[in-house]
Amino acid sequence: MWVWFAKLGSPKWFYEISGRWLPWMAGAMILTIGFATVWALLFLPPDYQQGYTSRILVVHVAVAGTSLAFFPLMAVAGSITLIWKMKLADMVAKNAAPIGAWFSFLTLATGSLWGSVTWGTWWEWSDSRLVSMLFQFFLLIGVISLRSALDDRDQSARACALLAILGCINVVVIKYSVEWWNTLHQSASPVTIGGGGANGPEFWVVTLLMILGVYLFMGISLILATRNEILERERNAVWVQEIVDGS
Amino acid sequence: MKAHRRNRLGLILFISLGLSVTIGLTLYALSQNINMFFTPTQVAQGEVKPGQAFRIGGMVKEGSLMRNESDLAVKFTTTDFISDVPIAYNESLGILPDLFREGQGIVAEGSVDSFGVFQATKVLAKHDENYMSPEVKAAMDAAKLLQAEGSSFSNKGYVE
Amino acid sequence: MLSTVQFSSFADFINMGGYAFNVWAVYGLFAVFLVVNLWFPLLKRKKIIRNLKRARQRQSQDQR
Repeated sequence: MWVWFAKLGSPKWFYEISGRWLPWMAGAMILTIGFATVWALLFLPPDYQQGYTSRILVVHVAVAGTSLAFFPLMAVAGSITLIWKMKLADMVAKNAAPIGAWFSFLTLATGSLWGSVTWGTWWEWSDSRLVSMLFQFFLLIGVISLRSALDDRDQSARACALLAILGCINVVVIKYSVEWWNTLHQSASPVTIGGGGANGPEFWVVTLLMILGVYLFMGISLILATRNEILERERNAVWVQEIVDGS
Repeated sequence: MKAHRRNRLGLILFISLGLSVTIGLTLYALSQNINMFFTPTQVAQGEVKPGQAFRIGGMVKEGSLMRNESDLAVKFTTTDFISDVPIAYNESLGILPDLFREGQGIVAEGSVDSFGVFQATKVLAKHDENYMSPEVKAAMDAAKLLQAEGSSFSNKGYVE
Repeated sequence: MLSTVQFSSFADFINMGGYAFNVWAVYGLFAVFLVVNLWFPLLKRKKIIRNLKRARQRQSQDQR
């Protein structure tokens, strides 16, 4: 276990193994997202109240759900950096923040486009789900600017790790806001296996597929960004120079 | 201290100040009741001061919706199946959302006038967490109707 | 679940039951989001390798 752990911390090892994973992940991502998109746009039945706006929710739910994974991921990676000073963990934490900001932004944008027709409003400051998601977006911008404000790499890693751990509190607030308080935003839909009722498989199977695809996408974009970071930080290593010469 | 170090220190102080303010506000919000709206029952129990602007959330009661085509006035009753609150709105303030209809959840912004009528300045539709195709909805309504006819003597009331 | 296409004509499909702007805007944004987050790191990778290559060449010239 510890050998594996130490290996994982080696940028060279990660670069090589992720290079082998990438084609498979990319293939699976194109299949799932492509299939889910065609399904959602052509075959998904309209909702009896919302009509075809329910198609927005396939994307919105997948992106929003995945966006909640960034702070826990950054907190874990940050803790590993703090405790074991693992270089790779810090690189992952650093590159997760901008991708997470994109995810949060898309969650807010798609939610707005849905809300403007169903609720009759683009934005409600009094809704705790909406505001806590906006807060996550600002927190991620905060993590990114904190990173660029500090020159010392160890210091910035420590500060960002701390902020990431604090950000996890907000993730819990986002998740449970719809249950703790009265909100305009609906709560999470229960899943029913049999057809013939509300939330039947005709609605959730396609959403589940999209969630899977979006998680793969998150993994791929994070790996791509981390690999770039590795090339830059390890530019003087022999194995990096071999890659440069070989390409 | 060198200029760039002083700038950096300023930035760090600024960020940590902003951070503590936001964390403080979050904790404050958590300690408060940050509900978006009051239910008709809460209003009936006098949780809202008279004349105070607030939001009310509930269902549009079946058969309560009245529209005046000439002056765009809309009247309906909102209910949580325990208490009812009458609401008045005028569509010249803004067209009602597509989802607004009887039996639909809504959130209205405004205040209660001296007649006990909630004068709304804004009405939003609330969608619940249940998604159904029109066919499934029709089948469920038909089944419900059949059941109601079969057991009309043991009518426990309409439960959504 | 995948037996019936919901639309009878292409115009119906574009129209999305009257919610064309919102539905297509969401799927358009989603596409942009996917492309940007994959394309940019790939572009950056090319740039990094180009720069490293240039630095290597400069180095070997200096040594000569």
